[in-house]
Amino acid sequence: MADEKKKNGVADENGKTKENADGDGKVAASATKTETKEDKNPSEKKEKKDILDELIDEGDLILKDRRESVPLTPENAKFAKSKGGLISLTLKHEDGTEEYFERVIVLRAFPITNPDEFISVREPDTKEKGKGQEIGMIRRLADFDEVTVRLINEELSRRYFTPEIKKIYSVKDKFGYSYWDSETTAGRVTFILNNPFSNIRVMEDGRIFINDIDGNTFEIPDPKKLDPASYRKIEIYL
Amino acid sequence: MKLMYELPDADRKAYEAAVGPDEKLLYCVPFNILDDKFVEGYMAFTNKKIYKLEGGRLLEVFDLSHATAFWTEVMYGICGFYAKIDGTSKLLCNFVSGRHLPRYSVLVKAMEILTQKHIEEPITNDTPEQFCQKCGRPYVHNTTICPYCMDRLAVYKKLWGMTKGLRLMMFFPFIVSAFGVIFSIVVPWLQAIAVDKYIKPTGEVVGSLTGNRMTGFIVIVVTFVSIDLFQRALGVMQARFSAVAGNKFTLVLKTLLYEKLQSLSLASIQRRTAGDLMGRVNHDTAEMQSFITGTLPSLFIQVATFLIVLVVLLIINPLICAFVFAPLPITVFAVRKVWEVVQRRNRKAWILNTRTSYLLHDILNGIRIVKCFGTEEREISRFKDSSVLSSNQNESNAKLFDTIFPLLGFLIQFGHFLISYYGNLLVFKGEMGLGTLSQISSYASMIYGPMLWITHIPRTISAFLTSASKVFEILEETPEVSDIGLPIDIQIEGEINVKNITFGYQSYNPVLENVSVKINPGEMIGIVGHSGSGKTTFINLILRLYDVNEGAIEIDGVNIKDISQAALRSQMGVVLQETFLFSGTIRDNIAYSKPYATDEEIIRAARIANAHDFIMNLPLGYNTMVGEKGYSLSGGERQRIAIARAIIHNPRILILDEATASLDTETEKLIQDALNKLVQNRTTLAIAHRLSTLRNADKLMVLERGKLVEFGTHQELLAKKGVYYRLVMAQRKLAQG
Repeated sequence: MADEKKKNGVADENGKTKENADGDGKVAASATKTETKEDKNPSEKKEKKDILDELIDEGDLILKDRRESVPLTPENAKFAKSKGGLISLTLKHEDGTEEYFERVIVLRAFPITNPDEFISVREPDTKEKGKGQEIGMIRRLADFDEVTVRLINEELSRRYFTPEIKKIYSVKDKFGYSYWDSETTAGRVTFILNNPFSNIRVMEDGRIFINDIDGNTFEIPDPKKLDPASYRKIEIYL
Repeated sequence: MKLMYELPDADRKAYEAAVGPDEKLLYCVPFNILDDKFVEGYMAFTNKKIYKLEGGRLLEVFDLSHATAFWTEVMYGICGFYAKIDGTSKLLCNFVSGRHLPRYSVLVKAMEILTQKHIEEPITNDTPEQFCQKCGRPYVHNTTICPYCMDRLAVYKKLWGMTKGLRLMMFFPFIVSAFGVIFSIVVPWLQAIAVDKYIKPTGEVVGSLTGNRMTGFIVIVVTFVSIDLFQRALGVMQARFSAVAGNKFTLVLKTLLYEKLQSLSLASIQRRTAGDLMGRVNHDTAEMQSFITGTLPSLFIQVATFLIVLVVLLIINPLICAFVFAPLPITVFAVRKVWEVVQRRNRKAWILNTRTSYLLHDILNGIRIVKCFGTEEREISRFKDSSVLSSNQNESNAKLFDTIFPLLGFLIQFGHFLISYYGNLLVFKGEMGLGTLSQISSYASMIYGPMLWITHIPRTISAFLTSASKVFEILEETPEVSDIGLPIDIQIEGEINVKNITFGYQSYNPVLENVSVKINPGEMIGIVGHSGSGKTTFINLILRLYDVNEGAIEIDGVNIKDISQAALRSQMGVVLQETFLFSGTIRDNIAYSKPYATDEEIIRAARIANAHDFIMNLPLGYNTMVGEKGYSLSGGERQRIAIARAIIHNPRILILDEATASLDTETEKLIQDALNKLVQNRTTLAIAHRLSTLRNADKLMVLERGKLVEFGTHQELLAKKGVYYRLVMAQRKLAQG
């Protein structure tokens, strides 16, 4: 694991680029290394409380662990199915060195409005290392070859598990909970909504997302296409 | 928490066929997603292997001796249980988060214990289940009440329990109603006698009212008048008693509810919005009052009337009685259908209404932001849209209900037409007196009254039950942080010993892990770390706003769980970044933690807080009103009042949560100075982003991702060149721009 995180030339050069610890990819350019060094305050006080002044030239240490996200393209990123059935990545850096990730995690930046673009590829979020950092971002999934697209889409659809509702058999309200029985692409399910009015989200394009009490999410891609009996059951919530 | 599920027969056979002789089943938990389908499968964990079973098939076997790590991943609408096997990450199974994430998180721990420490005893976890074990439906939050399996009688019983002391008063309306019912039966009967015997006696000449008949008639008329007077007098009394009983009941309920709210932990309060809680204290209790003083007596009257009239009608003429009841089955059916619609529509209207008021609440709170960004127009239209939705729903509900109920009324009235027809036939034939017909007619309308009313009652009862269960939900919530049987009141010296604590707002997701630290009395400890590293959580635990999951916090050698909350809080002072001043005078606000503080004490506290001078320059000095409707103070001024508030009760332990963040340099100096005076001889825990504000700290705690990574003095930590060193460097850079 340790050598996977070995630093590469690219990251060293841009060592001063601050990246938000939350991994939201916020990048703020800052001074280059040389400037910082010359910043050294000549009139530093020797008062020991103002330690800040004494150690100034080593300030870039803080950014040691940050990796910089790179755009991932078919040229620099080779995705493959790992031995464990997950996704591995070989990343080719600009300086020609290669970095291998036994497993990467793929996440959508806009799962609802733009699922096929802006896909973040990240290190696994392990306990020891805290939040997994972004390795890079795929601008458009379709740029990759078919096998890769299928591999990534498979993983994405597993991570964003959203069965579609085909038919609604019954909806019953009781004590503020709403009990649903419906046919979905993942089989027939009965699920419970806590307060249907706030857990049924209607998108601007008419799609409906339903979040149940267990953390399931169901989608109705086009409510108008439901059979009339099913539609009547959800009509009241729209 | 259940970690050993019973395998279904087919799966058990598959498991038994595969399991080795020296293996022992330790855990068995369900998983429910396989590929892209919902399934009912099980993961059986033995001391050597994990078996993945579904539909009687053994899908996979994982060998624990090759596994090095286990973890869960939360995704969208799904979770995964992963392991590192032979150096490669592998997905073991997928499951839905709500029910099983806590379970699998416990299993991750269990597997670590099993594979790394080789302890082959199954661990247990006492986190309560959140779902009814009988029907699988969710419990009412933080309780183990299943609204489905709960018997409604229980709700009524609890209500009954709460009416202690008010019962006699509440019972009175029933007595009055009983009289009312009797009279309403007697009056038509007297009328029948009056008509048949005196006004139009059968076979006698009309118009000669003399002698005995005259006396009889007068007696009847007088009876009418006195019954009417008596009934009205009773009515007045009933109304008065109802009002008293109802208001007393609401008062009791509201007080109980409010007391309970105060005793609940911060966690359960914060889960709900202020609007929701206000609604429960105000609206839901009023709903209950109207049910108890209005609906309940009426229900009694209606049912009693119905039964008595039924009996009387049967005695007079069973056939006519049958006509009266002819439309009943259809009506009952119709009412049932209508019930569902009514309930759902009312709920929708209610939700749209609250959504509008939340929106209003929200916007008014954020009015500064709205003004700053000039988004008034957008907010107006947002509010308008929401109001329109809500008003449309109300309108359509009203339209629908006002159409349905008269229609139901007609159905019920239909019997009336039948009686008129049949009764008139009998009168023509001379088999029945005119008075008797009018008596029957009166009774018929009396029986329809209750029947019509019953078509309304579902709405009322359901509204009541919802309100009642919402109120009870709060009343029955067990405070997460509660005093033990015999809490100790100690005089705090100020030593804090944190022993290996682990805590998470959800027990399976620790925010702090294995933190141990010993703080001597009078020491000032600075807590530093990135946001999200657990700093605020740490002080929340010291304040005991939450209880630790593992480990213990001891103050002067006593576990804080054993110290009464009153004693604990009264000896702790807190200054937060966001200062909240209650509506009231400055004096009230400073004296908040010590209401009987003398004026002298208050001035002294204000002086220490460097607040005295600016207070004296206010028009009414210490009596100046602040808060929502009062004088508006600057951030630094509010902060100094908060410091005075913390000083006034001379706390042994002082907690400063970014008390000087976002203030200008001069104000910060003033406050820093105030704080320096304040921390003398007190154990102080201070969180600060600006490390320079911690320069007086004796020691520093550096938290990173919930772990205590460094602890020591400035010099020690700098020499280490670790996390603290880097934080200092980073701030230095920022300061230099």
